[in-house]
Amino acid sequence: MGLLAPLFLLGLVGLVVPIVVHLTEKQRRQVVDFPSLMFLRKIPFRSSRRKKIHHWALLSIRALALVLLVAAFSRPFFENDVVGIGSTLGPREVVVVLDRSYSMGYGDRWERAKTQAREVFEGLEASDRASLVFMSRGAEALLRATSDRDRLLAALDEASLSADGTLYGPALKLAQTILEESEYPNREAVIISDFQRTGWKGDEGVTFPPGTVVTPVMISDEATPNATVASVTLRRDFFSGQERMTAVARVVHRQGEAPVERTIVLELDGQEIQTLTVLLDPTGSATVTFEPFTLSNLYTRGSIRLDPDALPQDDELHFVLSPGRAMRTLVLEGTSPRPDVSLYLQTSLEISEEASFQVDVRRSSSLSAADLEATDVVVLNDIRFPQGATADRLRGFVEGGGGLLLILGERSAWQTGLEEILPGRFGPARDHTRGAARLGYLDYTHPVFELFAGPRGGDFTRARFFRSRDMEVGPEGRVLARFDDGSVALAERRLGEGHVLVWTSTMDAFWNDLAVQPVFLPFIHQMIRHLSGYRERVPWFTAGQVLDLADPAGMVFVADRESELAPDVDQVALTPGGGSVTLPATDGPRFLELKEQGFYEVRPPGTNPDRPFTVAVNVDVTESELETMDPAELAAAVAPRETGVQLGIGGETLSAEMQARNQERRQSLWRFLMVAALVLLLTETAISNWISRAATMRFEDGRSYVPSNT
Amino acid sequence: MAVRERSSIQGADTRFLDPAVLSRINGLDLLARTVVDGFLQGLHRSPHLGMSLDFAEHREYMPGDDIRRIDWKLYGRTDRFYVKLFEAETSANFMVALDISKSMNFGTHTITKLDYARYLAASLSYFSQKQRDRVGLATFDHEIVEYVPPSTRHLQRILHALARAEPGRPGVLRDPLMRLGDNLYHRGIILVLSDFYEEPEQVLDSIRHLRARGHDVIVFHLLDPAELEFPFESAASFRDMESETMIPIVPDELVDEYRALIGQHTEELARLFTGSRIDYTVLDTSKPLDHALFRYLSSREKMARVR
Repeated sequence: MGLLAPLFLLGLVGLVVPIVVHLTEKQRRQVVDFPSLMFLRKIPFRSSRRKKIHHWALLSIRALALVLLVAAFSRPFFENDVVGIGSTLGPREVVVVLDRSYSMGYGDRWERAKTQAREVFEGLEASDRASLVFMSRGAEALLRATSDRDRLLAALDEASLSADGTLYGPALKLAQTILEESEYPNREAVIISDFQRTGWKGDEGVTFPPGTVVTPVMISDEATPNATVASVTLRRDFFSGQERMTAVARVVHRQGEAPVERTIVLELDGQEIQTLTVLLDPTGSATVTFEPFTLSNLYTRGSIRLDPDALPQDDELHFVLSPGRAMRTLVLEGTSPRPDVSLYLQTSLEISEEASFQVDVRRSSSLSAADLEATDVVVLNDIRFPQGATADRLRGFVEGGGGLLLILGERSAWQTGLEEILPGRFGPARDHTRGAARLGYLDYTHPVFELFAGPRGGDFTRARFFRSRDMEVGPEGRVLARFDDGSVALAERRLGEGHVLVWTSTMDAFWNDLAVQPVFLPFIHQMIRHLSGYRERVPWFTAGQVLDLADPAGMVFVADRESELAPDVDQVALTPGGGSVTLPATDGPRFLELKEQGFYEVRPPGTNPDRPFTVAVNVDVTESELETMDPAELAAAVAPRETGVQLGIGGETLSAEMQARNQERRQSLWRFLMVAALVLLLTETAISNWISRAATMRFEDGRSYVPSNT
Repeated sequence: MAVRERSSIQGADTRFLDPAVLSRINGLDLLARTVVDGFLQGLHRSPHLGMSLDFAEHREYMPGDDIRRIDWKLYGRTDRFYVKLFEAETSANFMVALDISKSMNFGTHTITKLDYARYLAASLSYFSQKQRDRVGLATFDHEIVEYVPPSTRHLQRILHALARAEPGRPGVLRDPLMRLGDNLYHRGIILVLSDFYEEPEQVLDSIRHLRARGHDVIVFHLLDPAELEFPFESAASFRDMESETMIPIVPDELVDEYRALIGQHTEELARLFTGSRIDYTVLDTSKPLDHALFRYLSSREKMARVR
């Protein structure tokens, strides 16, 4: 039962009206003309109890009539068709949607939810069928349309919480499919959940088939104070030649009633490193900064834990760290370079908080294979492009994933064969005679410039360019920056696995003043990062994500040793819960589904490496927001619509007219209420008149008289 | 004699004396005749009851004269037939003083007190006219509203005045009755019809001077049954019909005291009027008019004996 216009219920306040009328108005409005008050005045005045209800039946009728009127205007309706389609006769098709997201682990919610589901299964008749659908971010139909109650109960007993969040759409869609496939006339969907607001999008597009009775079962608690390790920031820096990490944890406290003091611990490889105390407001967050720690081992497992509360799953956050690897940059400036031609370039790369650049400046034009082996990026700073074997090695270096930055200056010169390597043909140096040129176009979609895309992200237009080389970019090339006269400033070409960048002006303060602009340093860093193929490692994943161990493009974000996850070697993944997942060698993708919270180890079967490949998995912290939605809202959203063509009991189509009639029937209760109210009001009028006539004046001989009222 | 008449009237058909029946008759003339003739018929008496027996003169017998009227004594002395002519009683004035103050417009039954008084006045005027009395009428509230001097020919004027009498103003007894007494030079019978909502002493003071002037005064105190029983049950605001003032009343709380007060009032009036030799009768307007008529006749007869 629902109400179309619940605001009309405010009319119930009008219940005081009949009582007031009963007690006061009636006396006030009745005036009796009497020949003389001579004798009445002689009688001493006595107050009498006016607040005395003489006619309870009359008052009850008036109040009931008002209640019925208010109820009629509130337009009550049956949420489910109680007649016709939704007949209660015959076997039922019941789908139990059980929320097993980790928020159901709050207190004893999970046990309560299973008890509710058990009651549903135990209430099934022999002819009924039931399905058990688990709901988290995904959906899983554990048992589908079975009459075997024992299997249902056993499956329920075996069920456990997931580390996943809540998403209503998939599970409800699955339930819809099961119900639609059923030929049973009576369909029911029982949704057992804590009905978290975060999982409801409102556009799930789920509509249960006509006649489905939707029963939401709310599993909740009156108060849900909950602290969460919401995130951890891991900052690298170098101190005394050692790489150090600083962990900064953000702790969020929601729906608390008073400030609480919680203990928070940093663990590395199972060892407790530091324990701190954090004071949390009833609703608020706090930041906890741990002492820096030295990172020396690959795949170091770290955890930050709060002392457990009612929802322990979100009280810990795991991460995996490996020592950082500096981007090795080799700068060649020729045998007789101009003074300080690489000064700004070298200095900018040496200035880095994270000390992630390792610069080697050589006054040479030659490159050995060993040089390239130990280099990520080669910078040719205003020198002639190497020829012969060096050129071939350089090309091979780039095609193998290395990076090449060509800075054009006075001594740069075009030579045959460069069109196979460079993004285009460059010409002679050209002065910008009509005043200095400025950078007029930047490709902010490119990784080099995307850092500057935001507001106040860096002003390249302040740099003045007095001289540059013209460049005609070929079809293989891509222009990343242009001067305001349209000539190319920076172009790129992808060569094999690596990239080649050509900067058509110098990187010193001779041809331009870019080197003294604030954007110079981050610009250089971005170019070297891009050329070196640097990827920030992902310290953890979220439960429910899937990792393709055979995808090198994806693995660069997690793996530090490429060889150990070679696709031609069998692997086995040990799950946090102690289970194992076999990952056989394959040419195709090799998926590892990260279902559990904790650390997954991947290693070849039968081996026990010291530092196996490890990924950390954490729960989705949005799930720890325990605000609930109105279950009726969800039930109403998925309840059968009365529009369009629907399937009837026997699969026949219901016409729009029949649907309209059905809808009208479900909402027609107000008419009965109105008629009942009118009948009561007429009865009230009759009784009131009768009482007025009979009781106002009654003579001893039985005659009556109604005085004139004004 | 009086006892016999009363017993006979109790057995009479009072259908035509019921106020509810009378209210359906249009025209006071017809009503008066209906009442009086019906009443007299019920008494089984001669329609000429009350006709004067005073001898007036003799005249010679003429064929067609009632032989019962022949004066046989005179025939013995004169040997001629003479019939006795009786003088009708035309010396008596019958004056009706009718209170038409606003309070008389109250009635919880078919008719109001004024209607009842109107019927009585019409009936008794008609009756007196038949008795050869001179009949007159004075309607009054706090002053005389209409005055019809006593005359044997004024019955129609009286009936007309009664018909158009409208209650509309508050009433006071003393001034109009004093003025009425001043206007009546010949002694006669004065019938006062009122509800007497004044203190008994004031009422007596207003009427006593009529008696002092030698008039025979008959007082009919008209009260509606609601005024006698006070049968109201629901609490209400009671409004004085004359002063328009209102007071909230819970009848349950004071009905007994009211009845006691109205009883004391009528008893005191009866005591005072009796002491002044004024005939006083309380009339319930829901009751038939026969009681009033009988009271009138008995009073009239009593007055005749006294005279």
